[in-house]
Amino acid sequence: MSDMNEVRKKQDAFLDKWISGEGIEFASEEAKNAYQERTGLLAAAFRIDDAIERVPVMPMTTFAPTMMKGISGKEAMYNPEAAGQAYLDFCNTFQPDAAGAAPMLMYGPALETLKYTLYKWPGQGVPDNLSYQFNEKEYMTQDEYDLLINDPTDFYLRYWMPRTHGALAPFASMPPIYGAMELPMLGPWLIGIGTPPMQEALAALMKAGKQCFDWINSMGAYLGQIMAAGFPFYAGGATKAPFDVISDSFRGTTQLMMDIFRRPEKVLEAVERLVEPMIAAGVAGAVANNNPIVFIPLHKGADGFMSNEQFEKFYWPTLKKVMYGLAEAGCIPGCFVEGGYNQRLEYLADTSDIRCMYLFDRTDMARAAELLGGKVCIAGGFPVSMILTATPEQVTEETKKLIDVAGKDKGYILSIGCALDEGKDETIKAFVDAAKKYGRY
Amino acid sequence: MKDLTDAMADMNEDKALELTQKYLDEGESPVEIFRAYQAAMEEIGKRFEQNLYFVPELIMAGEMMKAGAGLIKPHLKDDDDGGGAGKIGKFLIATIEGDIHDIGKNIMGMMLDLNGFEVMDLGVDVPLQKIVDAAKEFKPNVIGLSGLLTLAFDPMKALVDKLKDEGVRDDYKVIIGGAQMDQHVCDYVGADAWVTDAVAGVNQSKAWVAA
Repeated sequence: MSDMNEVRKKQDAFLDKWISGEGIEFASEEAKNAYQERTGLLAAAFRIDDAIERVPVMPMTTFAPTMMKGISGKEAMYNPEAAGQAYLDFCNTFQPDAAGAAPMLMYGPALETLKYTLYKWPGQGVPDNLSYQFNEKEYMTQDEYDLLINDPTDFYLRYWMPRTHGALAPFASMPPIYGAMELPMLGPWLIGIGTPPMQEALAALMKAGKQCFDWINSMGAYLGQIMAAGFPFYAGGATKAPFDVISDSFRGTTQLMMDIFRRPEKVLEAVERLVEPMIAAGVAGAVANNNPIVFIPLHKGADGFMSNEQFEKFYWPTLKKVMYGLAEAGCIPGCFVEGGYNQRLEYLADTSDIRCMYLFDRTDMARAAELLGGKVCIAGGFPVSMILTATPEQVTEETKKLIDVAGKDKGYILSIGCALDEGKDETIKAFVDAAKKYGRY
Repeated sequence: MKDLTDAMADMNEDKALELTQKYLDEGESPVEIFRAYQAAMEEIGKRFEQNLYFVPELIMAGEMMKAGAGLIKPHLKDDDDGGGAGKIGKFLIATIEGDIHDIGKNIMGMMLDLNGFEVMDLGVDVPLQKIVDAAKEFKPNVIGLSGLLTLAFDPMKALVDKLKDEGVRDDYKVIIGGAQMDQHVCDYVGADAWVTDAVAGVNQSKAWVAA
């Protein structure tokens, strides 16, 4: 493990680079100043800087910007111009301190090309007006742990993707690549690539790749405008806790719960094996986007899903390794702590020697502030139910209360505890306005 | 058969099955063996409420129950009532229209079944009219609506409004379950209760049918 001072210096260097806004063509001097103010505030929160002037406000959005404009979930996923414009409008209207990551909406046509089944999405298994939804199944059998452990990439390509990307089913018949190290042994693999089903699968992959490339170029124009207008994005990269990778996308929730009892040593080996790949995934995005924040949604370690003993044994150690690996590369791990962590708060103080953030959903923010305030950057805690069902006055009052409770130690970022699939103009306005009015130190 | 009850309550899957087979081979009453399982389920439920056990243990309990029932059922005579416990109530459960998430609903359904409810599970993305029609026919004590997405709030509210419009709201208790449920949502939807975990949902339902 590196010297923590050196690690924090690397993180600070990446933060400073991000704050400088180098490479961004700002629309005006005001926009540049606004960008630097916003990134400066977020960085000051990550650094738990006593000189921070106000609580930054960062509502995380998925479909909310499009839904609030009356744009269906389907259009948001099929029309990058409409989606990009909606995200830009959201920023201009509500003036948050960070913009949502519109690319997380993904592009429907590419998913159709791949015959993707890991999620259902509007127009494909879910009504047009709604958002995409995870289609959890057992995509990895109990006997396949060693395949994943011994060679994760091979497992993804020749076992898992064929099951979750229908057009890539022929990849399951592709021979392993290892023979390619010798001319006389190259034949079998290449011939495998040349079979008609494999050729079709590769053609589908090429098409989906081109579709996504064109999509991000269309949406990119709007993302550029968002930055030019002075809004940083709330994340540069994303990754997951190794346990969540296996629980969400491979074994399935209940199957992995049973694996904890039936084959605990395999679970431990598998989560260890995924540490380096998850660090690599997070760093790649941060570096490509010149934004150090790596978004890590936490799922299956929440209160109720396991005991503290199980958390300590199966979930936390490898999540921590990923967080430290990201930090050593200069990134800021930003954990989005879905569900409640009221039983886990003490563990999170472990990472107080790196710059990191925990954005809370159903966790008691008073307790979070008490146990973690001044140690790590804490965020979130505003109930999404109030954004959707309360009056603006109630939202204003609740926001003020939350700032007083959670923001007292500085190192707090105001956010709604849930990434917004939808929103209401009046309550979001009340939320952001209250943040700016009552959040001054 | 305390050793069997303890094995299951302690999550010792192999031992529980071994002992079940042993008792069956020794000619013990299958009804008694089933009672040992039920005693284990009660203990497991208690440990869950004490925050010693969590969802993984509930899942394992369901698995052991299934495996045990598989061994015991062939030995039960026709007039055995599987332990003497009749159904305590009826529960209609569905993931609301537009939402396809089902893990919470499935855990709830399993726990309700193990606690003596007759459960009708309509599945996911269930249209509102289908829920109302099923309720009128099945006549449950409780209608349970599951939803993970915030986009589920409005369809849940619409379902409760539909029950009112059709003059049958008072025939049922309505409970909503899901990660984002709270009192604000409960008030908005017009439900009788809200939960974020299955055991709380089962306990509320048991209280309702006992009243």
